[in-house]
Amino acid sequence: MRHRSLLEYRSYRYLKWASVLSLAAILVYSWFSFPVGRYGGTAVGYTLGTIGAMIIVSLMWLGMQKRRYRANTFGLQGWVSAHIYLGTSLIIIATLHAGFQVGWNVHTLAYVLMLAVIFSGFFGVYVYLRLPRLMTENMGEDTYDSVILKIADIDRDIRRVAMAMPDEISRVTETSVQRTHIGGGVLAQFRDRPKKCPTLLATKFLEASGKTLKGDDQQRNHELYSLMLRKKKLVERARTDIRFKAALNLWLYFHVPLSFALLAALAAHIISVFFYW
Amino acid sequence: MKLQLSQLTRNRQGQPVQTEQTLHADPLRIGRGADCKLHLPDPRVKLHHATIGMSIDGNCFVEAATGTIKVDGRFERSMRIKPGQKISVGPFEIVVLPTPPDYDLAISVELLDPLNNDFSDRRSTLNTGLAGTRLSKRGMSWMAATAVLLVFLIWPVMNAFNSHEREINAKQFIAPDTSWNPGALSSAHHSFGRDCAQCHATPFVQTKNEQCEHCHKSIGWHFALNSKKAVALHESVFMQSDDAARCASCHRDHKGPLGLIRQDSPLCTQCHAELKTRHPETISPNIADFSHDHPAFKLSMLVPGKVGNDAVERVPQDEKTVEKSNLKFPHNLHLTKKGIRSPNGKITMDCKNCHVPDENGIRFKPITMKEHCQDCHSLEFEPKATNRQVPHGNIEDVISTVNEFYAQTALADVPIDVLVQEGVRRPGERLQPAQRQSALQWATEKAGKTTRELMEDRVCFACHEISKISAGKDNDKSISWKIAAIAITQHWLPKARFPHHKHHSKDCSSCHNVEISKASSDIAIPAIKKCRECHGGNATADDKAPGTCETCHGFHVGGSRSGTPIPLPGGLPYDPKQKAAQKK
Repeated sequence: MRHRSLLEYRSYRYLKWASVLSLAAILVYSWFSFPVGRYGGTAVGYTLGTIGAMIIVSLMWLGMQKRRYRANTFGLQGWVSAHIYLGTSLIIIATLHAGFQVGWNVHTLAYVLMLAVIFSGFFGVYVYLRLPRLMTENMGEDTYDSVILKIADIDRDIRRVAMAMPDEISRVTETSVQRTHIGGGVLAQFRDRPKKCPTLLATKFLEASGKTLKGDDQQRNHELYSLMLRKKKLVERARTDIRFKAALNLWLYFHVPLSFALLAALAAHIISVFFYW
Repeated sequence: MKLQLSQLTRNRQGQPVQTEQTLHADPLRIGRGADCKLHLPDPRVKLHHATIGMSIDGNCFVEAATGTIKVDGRFERSMRIKPGQKISVGPFEIVVLPTPPDYDLAISVELLDPLNNDFSDRRSTLNTGLAGTRLSKRGMSWMAATAVLLVFLIWPVMNAFNSHEREINAKQFIAPDTSWNPGALSSAHHSFGRDCAQCHATPFVQTKNEQCEHCHKSIGWHFALNSKKAVALHESVFMQSDDAARCASCHRDHKGPLGLIRQDSPLCTQCHAELKTRHPETISPNIADFSHDHPAFKLSMLVPGKVGNDAVERVPQDEKTVEKSNLKFPHNLHLTKKGIRSPNGKITMDCKNCHVPDENGIRFKPITMKEHCQDCHSLEFEPKATNRQVPHGNIEDVISTVNEFYAQTALADVPIDVLVQEGVRRPGERLQPAQRQSALQWATEKAGKTTRELMEDRVCFACHEISKISAGKDNDKSISWKIAAIAITQHWLPKARFPHHKHHSKDCSSCHNVEISKASSDIAIPAIKKCRECHGGNATADDKAPGTCETCHGFHVGGSRSGTPIPLPGGLPYDPKQKAAQKK
């Protein structure tokens, strides 16, 4: 619920601000017409462009504010809420600034980068609103740390039971104990059901070997099999948690670099316009 | 087999601790299995790893349970062991010690590589967040921003400051500053290609008029600067600020093929809607909108017989307006559907028989007697001599031609069958002086009569307004006529443009209702309401063609900025002096 209140911050204060701003932009755009057409080079165009550039720069300021938000009086939630709504209003302001004109040039590059930043931000809002609930559902009463501790306990049991098992079974279970990884590289963090997971392979192996063993070995095999199944579920939950965490952050790896690309394109856009006045 | 076993372990401080025990086994099974006497509980040790036994000759040996075993770094199936040898069993190292008395063998066992068996201990080595991966927000941000700056800012700027490189680069498929182009150039400026320097000469300085006038040398002012008043007005209207005086304040390029020329009415109406208030001395009316606030057209008609500034009279068009061309030309007789007589039989005429479009299709070539009339309207004056015509032009030439013809006929050796005149001449007869007198008198009378007919009844009279100057008998030398000067207006609306070729889908008669015109005094130029049937005004109408000021009028119509005359839109205004010069 903390995330939902991000949008509802102070009863939609910044939604109202952004709406007023957008509406004003639409009115000004429609009211004034210019003989040379509606585009960035008119008085209205310059005004909307200046407002848009100022919003972009101040919203990027959030990146710094976020790191030292305790130091300011505005509060992180206020900043993020303003960031979302003002950022969205940029779609309208920048489109009107451009007068709906696009081309293969640095000006449209800045516009497209801005849209990419905004829509990656929308995705960020979406995951912030949706994933925390899924993460809670996945972990239940556990935490990531407690799941890891449980896996460690099971590993100890597996080793104890496997000690008396035939070498080939012991090798498989030991591989599960030593080679089961959680997380890893970017792709591994998003792959929460890897097909070559040693624990998964061990589970399948034990299931099969249970049919050929007899006596105490069969008993122990059964014990190992149920331990391995429990471990498999715990490992999957831990990996899903990692995947959610990665998804919760991945959009930022687009949002932030695109923002800086946008800042550069914005600088090139503004300078080029006055360089070739 | 009695065996002494020393187990080396390490306490919490890492100090070695040795415990000794005595084992009885033959052979000694080594492995992690519970049935092994030397029990090594580690997953890396096989269930039954190896066996140490004693042969019949009293020597000890080690034998792998399956496969081989590593002894002193060598893999052996089985081998004899001696003190000092090291046997590796998984993470354990078994060292054969010197055999103490009463024992068959002594060995020590040490775990060299303890098992890190706690998954939770490995947690710190697990990569569980994107922050630990190769992805880096900071690195990616720097890369993206730097790339954009390099390609879209630094490269074009460097290019702009290097005039030599800039010229070469402008010819490439993509110039460094191509990415700065906000939109397509106007079609006329397309030839500049990627050479931005054609207009954008100095960084951070707005495009100057000199850049435009470099090519547009003869562009005109808005009105002729032919008086101090006109110059003062021009200064106050068009030179009040730097921006107002800039070509680019109206002409914005990069707006597509047609974007350079303003088509909007406010350009004109911001002054012309209230021109009389702004400039009380003006002779122009207030005009706000073609659709409802535009006066009747002012026809620029030639005034017969006048030259110079008086040659053209500008008359507001109404139903009573007439043309004084001094030409008799009933359109209705010529265009009748029944057809008219011609030397080649009966023909039906239409507009284009006489009105031939000029080279650019905007207006029409001048109509001439020789090309358009004379085929039918032959200038024969003597019915019996159809090969002789009077010249078209000067009346004196006409009279002398007629006089000479009859004198020649009377006096020269003309065959009788050509001209029969009783009592004048006999075939082969030499004229006597008296006869010559008589013949000349006949010729003079005949010429006078014919001339009078030409001037008052037929041929010349058919088309021209002719007045008799002195009254007298047919042979009176003092009698003369005056043919009124022809003044056919060629360009009725020189201050507007009407491209006929753009209206070719319409019949001529839909605007020029000449089929019922009985006299040349009728004005065939349609009135403004005719234009308004199709053309709208300032506001774009769904059912009307454009009717902005720019549709018909130009802006730069006031003579050249550089002093040489420039053509008005649609061609030169009619200039009698110039026409006279062309004739010579």
